[in-house]
Amino acid sequence: MWRTNLKVAFVVLGTLAVYTVVANAIPQIESDVPTELTLRADVTAEELVAAGEQIYTGAGGCMVCHGLGTRAPDVLRVAGRVCAERKPELECKAYLYESLTDPGAYVVEGFQPIMPDMRRTLSNQQIWATVAFLESQGGEVTVTAEDIGAGEEGGTVDSGGGTVAPAAASEFAFATEASDPVGLLQEAACTACHVLDGAGGPIGPAFDSMGDLERDYIRRSILNPAADTARGYEALAGTMPVTFGDQFSAAQLEAIVQFLADRP
Amino acid sequence: MSGPKCMRGGAGAPRVAPIVLLGAAAFVALAPEAAWAQEAVRPYGDFPVIGARGAIWISAQVHLMFAAFVLGVPMFAVVVEAIGIFGGDKRYDKLAREFTRLLLIAYSATAIWGAILTFALSSLYPRFWSYLTVIFGPSMWLYAGLFIVESFTLYLYYYGWDRWSEDRAKLGHLGLGVLLNIWGTIVMFIANGWLTYMMSPPADVTADTAPETVQLWSALFNATWMPINIHRLIANVVFGGAIVGMYAAYRFLAASTDEERAHYDWMGYVGNFIAIGALIVLPFAGYYLGREIYEFNQTMGITMMGGFMSWLWIIQAFLIGVLFLAGNYYLWTGMGRIPGAERFTPYVKWMLLVLVVGVIVWSTPHTMIASREEIVAMGGTHHPFLGVLGVMSAKNTAVNLMILTTFLSFLLYRRANKEPVVPWAKTGTLVQGIALGLSAAVVMFYGVYGYFVTAIIRIGFSVYQVLAVLAAMVFVILIDIAIMRGATSRGAIQWGRMPARSQYALFILGVTFTWLMGLMGFARSGIRQHWHVYEVIRDTSPQAATPALGPAATMISVCVLIFLGLVAVIFWLGGLVEKPAHRRADGLVVPSAAAEPAGSGS
Repeated sequence: MWRTNLKVAFVVLGTLAVYTVVANAIPQIESDVPTELTLRADVTAEELVAAGEQIYTGAGGCMVCHGLGTRAPDVLRVAGRVCAERKPELECKAYLYESLTDPGAYVVEGFQPIMPDMRRTLSNQQIWATVAFLESQGGEVTVTAEDIGAGEEGGTVDSGGGTVAPAAASEFAFATEASDPVGLLQEAACTACHVLDGAGGPIGPAFDSMGDLERDYIRRSILNPAADTARGYEALAGTMPVTFGDQFSAAQLEAIVQFLADRP
Repeated sequence: MSGPKCMRGGAGAPRVAPIVLLGAAAFVALAPEAAWAQEAVRPYGDFPVIGARGAIWISAQVHLMFAAFVLGVPMFAVVVEAIGIFGGDKRYDKLAREFTRLLLIAYSATAIWGAILTFALSSLYPRFWSYLTVIFGPSMWLYAGLFIVESFTLYLYYYGWDRWSEDRAKLGHLGLGVLLNIWGTIVMFIANGWLTYMMSPPADVTADTAPETVQLWSALFNATWMPINIHRLIANVVFGGAIVGMYAAYRFLAASTDEERAHYDWMGYVGNFIAIGALIVLPFAGYYLGREIYEFNQTMGITMMGGFMSWLWIIQAFLIGVLFLAGNYYLWTGMGRIPGAERFTPYVKWMLLVLVVGVIVWSTPHTMIASREEIVAMGGTHHPFLGVLGVMSAKNTAVNLMILTTFLSFLLYRRANKEPVVPWAKTGTLVQGIALGLSAAVVMFYGVYGYFVTAIIRIGFSVYQVLAVLAAMVFVILIDIAIMRGATSRGAIQWGRMPARSQYALFILGVTFTWLMGLMGFARSGIRQHWHVYEVIRDTSPQAATPALGPAATMISVCVLIFLGLVAVIFWLGGLVEKPAHRRADGLVVPSAAAEPAGSGS
């Protein structure tokens, strides 16, 4: 009987040992925690780039998609060069900052709008450091301490205190008056995904055919996009940003709801 | 087995369960609701040597393993009892009873480890624990109450086996088994609500949301709740079957009589059948869960499949490959004890080939996080050759063909000693072959076509592949049932005439299932990364970084060792119940008769 027991123990321990050794033999990647980033007023471009690279390869999780060629555009070695060509009206750093904080504003052709708003996970300083790193990829670093507000009291610094505060509503609010819902939709880059008057992206249901929807439904879809998924768009569920509730004022939101519900 | 002997068996120990649970529930009640808002409450405690996270990890994992066992076994115990009742075969009733006996002490272990987990959470993560109790407090009480009801239902079910063994009373007894499953399922659903909230909190809950304002139902009914519920229900059956298989294998190896060996051979076969049968369905529940994770948050989904966890899926593929190979090996070996099975032997090598190629393709890495230097060296993050094999089109094709092959193994095993008598048997078999061939063709077509379409369309192809396989399996088994109606036998299965090596395959299956459960638990929990509640409550403890696969694997192995060690003790205790020693008047201790062999009845 002892022989049987020993054999059983050998099989059990041997199996466990094989799995443990195999799992220890493959590449080991730890998921980093975003570290506190405090930039001085005299921060240099090199320091910004180094900090940005750490975020890009670590806590930012950027490499999960960028560089794979299928999910998101490759940015290494080229981002600093192509950034000025994407939206000619924006200089490179402004475009890159917008890409990180309002990723739906411009989606590179051939890719899905799956990029998350990085303000949910990174501080403003971390975002700017990442912009500096991206500029360094084939271009010139133009981010300065002045852009970031580095060293200023009350600057947006990840305190590591347990939570990441969402961006203040006023900081990212839309300026267009509530009396101009079309302007609001354009300012919020909604037409990147929704068709309005025959123009716009095919990612979400067309605004042109929303006239038969209830106002409550439209309002809920803006405030909580996950609440309902329009038929035919199931595969793209989850791509609508969840931040509009923080960014539109109540009057702006109601103006948009009214406008969409009144469409023919 | 006599009634009084059974009473001696579990009395005392299992009744620990409700008492322990009550203690833990009282602890929940003591958690100060306002503590969440108080800065004075320390956020984290410490635990010697392994740290706070290690302590939580072990207590949660071992608790979950026992919980999966005690939830999975009743599901098939009650089905086996029903087969015994409606089929009139007492052997099944005895088997169901034996399954249930394994549950008694395991219930106590589940409750004890649940209490350890509760104490560990409240002392090592007090602020976060307070947060959870503020939101989920009422459901925690319900959970504790239902666990007690569930425990007493189990006692009634087990101890009433002899009393309610005939006619309508037996049906009532079966009803108790069904009730036991209902309570267990509700208990699991509640606990799943807590953990899935941490993973996928409602969109309107942010870092600034006061927990008092979070609606309980909205927190429970979050994006991944139902997918996890379904996945765990099936996985528990797989796990329970595998552990029962291990138990039977040990008893087979230790058996001293042919009858005993025959009984445990049969029990091991049933355990393996349940485990592999449910495993075949599990990937479909996994797809559903993965899809919901992606829909909840693309970043989380991508982190899971292509981020720092990408290598985890290679390990998972390796493990599932072992499961398929060991499970099929056990079946093929088992065909040696079935007269007439030799006519199917030539097919085995081809099935083995499909399985091996399938494992190789499924284990091929594709999307991996790599350093800049590695990306430049490869010319991209995909390897120029392996990258092509490693895409989901190839992997889905491989796994679906492996499922079909395993199904075919079961089919051949089932038909091994049977000779159909219906006149259309040959045509029926041909139709079965065509159905399986068509299914494989559909799987391969979409596998190849997937290379020529965009990712968003390709994802949808997996549904067609899965449906083709499921439809073929249902269709083929229905035809098989009809063909085998009134079939003559080429000879009875010679239970017990199995080589010992086949039993070690059952051990490998059990260990692998247990380890896989730990690995998937790490995946599910790890994709939250440095968040207690994803993007709501950040983990600011010194151990907030999610470990790499190596350290995680070591921890998983420790958990599996603890669990299996305790299971061995439980089985040993179960053995003591069967073989109580009698002290004679002259002081000599002699063993009683060995456990009743199969078919001896009660």
